[in-house]
Amino acid sequence: MFRTGSRHTHDKGPAAEALRLVKVTKTFGARDSAVTALDGVTLGLGRGTFTAVMGPSGSGKTTLLHCAAGLDRPDSGIVRVDGTELTAGGEAELTRFRRGRIGFVFQQYNLLETLTVAQNTVLPLKLAGRRVDRGRAQEVLTSVGLGDRLGHRPGQLSGGQRQRVAIARALVTEPRVIFADEPTGALDTRSAREVLRLLQQAVRVHGRTVVMVTHDPVAASYADSVLFLADGRLAGRMDAPTPDAVAERLAHLGDNVATGV
Amino acid sequence: MFLLAMRSIRHRPGRFLATLLSAFLGAAIIMTFNSMHDTAAQDGVDPTSADTLSTAAGVVGGYGTLLVFFAVASTLTVNVRQRAAELELLRCSGATPAQLKRMLVGEAVVVALVGAALAIGPAVLGGRALLEVFQDSGQVAGSVDHSFGPIAFMTGIDITLLASAGATFLAVRRATRGRERRGGARKFLAYAALLTGAASVFSTFVFSATDATLMAPPAYGAILLSVGFALMAPRLLEAVLDRLPLNGASGWLAVRNLRERAGQLAGILMSLILFTAVATATLTMQAVESDAVAASGLTKSIEAKNLETLNFTVVGIIVVFVCVMLVNSLYAATSYRVREFGQQRLAGATPGQVLGTVGTEGIVLTVTGVLFGTLAALAGIIPFTVVRTEGALPGEVYGIGLAVAVIAAVVTLGTILATTRRTLRTPAVGAVAVAS
Repeated sequence: MFRTGSRHTHDKGPAAEALRLVKVTKTFGARDSAVTALDGVTLGLGRGTFTAVMGPSGSGKTTLLHCAAGLDRPDSGIVRVDGTELTAGGEAELTRFRRGRIGFVFQQYNLLETLTVAQNTVLPLKLAGRRVDRGRAQEVLTSVGLGDRLGHRPGQLSGGQRQRVAIARALVTEPRVIFADEPTGALDTRSAREVLRLLQQAVRVHGRTVVMVTHDPVAASYADSVLFLADGRLAGRMDAPTPDAVAERLAHLGDNVATGV
Repeated sequence: MFLLAMRSIRHRPGRFLATLLSAFLGAAIIMTFNSMHDTAAQDGVDPTSADTLSTAAGVVGGYGTLLVFFAVASTLTVNVRQRAAELELLRCSGATPAQLKRMLVGEAVVVALVGAALAIGPAVLGGRALLEVFQDSGQVAGSVDHSFGPIAFMTGIDITLLASAGATFLAVRRATRGRERRGGARKFLAYAALLTGAASVFSTFVFSATDATLMAPPAYGAILLSVGFALMAPRLLEAVLDRLPLNGASGWLAVRNLRERAGQLAGILMSLILFTAVATATLTMQAVESDAVAASGLTKSIEAKNLETLNFTVVGIIVVFVCVMLVNSLYAATSYRVREFGQQRLAGATPGQVLGTVGTEGIVLTVTGVLFGTLAALAGIIPFTVVRTEGALPGEVYGIGLAVAVIAAVVTLGTILATTRRTLRTPAVGAVAVAS
């Protein structure tokens, strides 16, 4: 399932590059109506970085995230998370690949309604058969500001609070990469700001690598760098982004697709 | 609101398949048996034939109707509960609870009418076939023609409509009240069903051992007790869960799911308990009856023979019916959980773990359902046996009980696991995106 240079994959520390994609291609639909969502995307993200992926609707940013996170398989190309390559295999194998390596934060939270905040947070550990450290889970929940909501159900929380539970759940397994898909898409500005700060903290304090798909220039400005995507291809990169610069670049994204990067 | 109801049926026919199927089957069963009343009421039917037909329609049509009522009601309850999200959306768009009620009850009425109308053809054929069974065994004169008249027609439509609209009304009322605590209505209904059931069971002792209708009170009683138990399902499940040592991620998740969804599982438990109780009770009582007749050394009287054919035919039909309803409600309840399964998978559950979780849930449900179904069945069987043979617990009950339990387990787990497996084919991200 996993191919690495070394046989001692478990003993090795984290790889220098948290995520690497090489010529990743993904096409949807039948031959005559096929849509190329990703067209040979190659990129590498260093450990401990916060990267935003931006682009107009249909530019392939969500597909990129799904392929990079092992939720979907690319048609061709290589995906390597923390030095380990994602190869063919069943869904069970894919799941085992994601566990421990990858954490998720979704726009729609995807918390289980039947579980409490604390139970939702430790669920990935339970499923992976890892030891559940309740003290640690509580610590993480306290750090996202939900230390007093452990016994609540997702239904009793606001959108912002639910998203913070999702972040705690993503942090508790100590993954190499956290993928966030429009994490602020359903939130008001204040909650969105809190969520973005927490993602920043995950990088700065906990040393995680965060990849965030967003269409909001303000959200993107919280990242260290922004990757622009257009028509399934990388169309530029911006370090130390500001909302205005990102918006400006997005507005003219169509112009420089041809030049590529 | 009625227009909205019509539109929602026209655009999503698939969603109404489960309720349509239950209305159709329920109406078909009721019409088939009650057409015996119409047949008996024709001019020129000799008294013996008329008597046989009336007993068939009265006893079986009676508890069959009761059963259909609750089976249809449980499917409709599952259906409304699944649409909580849609109702919430409508409520946020400015629909008042009364409007929602009108919409859903309107839908239920239309679906029930369509189901009942579709059932007329099969019920005419079924009635003819049933009459032939009676004629072949010589209990009804061969000259009697089948008649599908006003009694069959009216009862079929009325019962189906009443069960559909009533169950929907109660379920919507609960849904539109939002997060308020469950009212006392459920508790009241549960106690009422248990009390009437107990009364019906005890009234068996009023009958004499050779009464042709001796089997009716315990059968009614067992059904009503089942319904009472099903209404108390949340508390019964709690009690069972407290006594289960479940380990592993799947077991842990299953217990939490069951605890949280105990209220919603009442519909499934109702089908499961009814199936176990009805199948065990009627089959065992018929076996006891046959033994008693054989032991008396007499040749079977027409009445006893009548009752035997009747029971085995009918028990067959009814057991198959409840079994179909069980599969129906299990399928509806499980296929609705696509999104939840997707979320479990995104949180790191392998397909095997998802199946393990629903499998564990299925086992707990089966154990609970079979346990309380058997209790309800015994409550009917024991009085019957005491009155009929002076014994208490017939030997047949073990074999029959075991067979019924095995069938219940296979049907429940089979449906749940097969349905879940199908939903697992959708990729996890696609599954959570499904608009429900």
